[in-house]
Amino acid sequence: MKKVLTVLWLSATLGLAAPIEGYMQTLADEAKKTDASFSGFDAKRGEKLFFSEHVGKKGKKISCASCHTNDLNKAGENVFTAKVIDPLSPKANKERLSDVKNVKKWLRRNFNDVYNREGTALEKGDVLTFIRNY
Amino acid sequence: MKKYLIMAVSAATLIGGVALFADDERYERKVYAKSEKAVQPDMPKKKLNEFETLYQKECGSCHMAYQPEFLPKRSWSKMMDTLDNHFETDATLDVNDHKTILTYLTSNAGDSKYTTKHFSKMSNSVPRDEAPLRISQTPYFMKEHRGIPKRLIEQKEVKSIANCAACHTTANQGIYSERAINIPNYGRWDD
Ligand code: HEC
Ligand code: HEC
Ligand code: HEC
Repeated sequence: MKKVLTVLWLSATLGLAAPIEGYMQTLADEAKKTDASFSGFDAKRGEKLFFSEHVGKKGKKISCASCHTNDLNKAGENVFTAKVIDPLSPKANKERLSDVKNVKKWLRRNFNDVYNREGTALEKGDVLTFIRNY
Repeated sequence: MKKYLIMAVSAATLIGGVALFADDERYERKVYAKSEKAVQPDMPKKKLNEFETLYQKECGSCHMAYQPEFLPKRSWSKMMDTLDNHFETDATLDVNDHKTILTYLTSNAGDSKYTTKHFSKMSNSVPRDEAPLRISQTPYFMKEHRGIPKRLIEQKEVKSIANCAACHTTANQGIYSERAINIPNYGRWDD
């Protein structure tokens, strides 16, 4: 019985400290390194970043919302291929932001698509904060 | 289509059974069964499934996971070398996943193993000194899709000829038989 309880307790605490927290911390450390006055990520800045349009990799105006829509609780559509994309907000889609490797990969790709460069730690942290609090 | 039907019916009567003709789809299903995937000879089934699952996940996130049998090895190698600018989008992978998927694609390519029907036709139609990155630009593909009006491809339900599953309802299972074609706002195809 004790064993079972320990396992339960362990999985509960592990569950609380989601892997994404670790990644957010890494991003915060990096942001602090480039700018000593860094005082935390900001969902408002992230929101602006998410909705602002840029001339992307394909030479056309595009924003994060072009594929993920204006409502992150709704399914979107890939503007390049017409394939449906499940909702981006973790509230509507439990699998979101649960796999750090996957998150890093898509931020790298999607920043390139929209901004034609990789995102900075500050930008990535801000936009993730926006998505997590949506 | 009618011509083929008459031919098929007479052939079937000659042989004395319609089973073969009627079972076209089931035949395809069997031919495209996962167990026939090569990856590497003697690879245990579990490992094979891992390769397949990774391929489906990574190369099926922006569009359907195209069957590797449709293109020759040289096309897949070239594609995997240029993922940073994959049809003007970034499709880069981490090093290990990249290696696994390259192995999966090249060992299941149209010229890597025995493939049947349209899979081999597509891949074999590519001239030896060419390595197209598009299935939709292989000669056999272009011949088969020549007769489709532009508006049916450009409409918002399809958008691109690369959106196979919009018309081939069972494309994800590797089945492209005529009976499984249903073009949005048009319906079944009879040629
Ligand atoms: C061209 C279409 C497109 C654009 C533009 C785009 N994304 Fe994505 N994004 C995708 C696709 C496709 C996926 C992965 C498919 C899936 O998981 O359903 C994805 C996945 C993600 C994920 C991973 C979520 C998870 O944990 O599964 C994040 C985070 C993300 N996008 C953020 C962004 C941000 C931020 C931008 C703007 C800089 C952006 N996206 C722009 C298509 C796009
Ligand atoms: C980030 C999104 C993305 C990812 C990930 C991706 N692709 Fe693509 N792929 C595209 C786009 C965009 C096109 C062009 C679609 C069009 O023209 O309609 C394309 C087209 C293709 C085509 C040509 C289709 C045709 O015949 O016209 C092939 C083959 C292909 N991709 C294979 C792959 C493979 C293999 C992988 C995995 C290594 C992969 N793709 C991963 C976005 C992606
Ligand atoms: C706009 C609808 C549409 C799209 C998109 C489309 N096809 Fe087709 N496809 C057709 C039609 C119609 C035929 C012709 C059937 C016939 O004439 O026998 C066909 C024929 C084929 C055949 C020949 C079948 C045989 O019996 O040999 C193959 C294989 C095929 N398509 C594969 C693909 C692949 C792979 C893609 C995506 C890269 C694709 N198609 C995209 C409509 C479409």
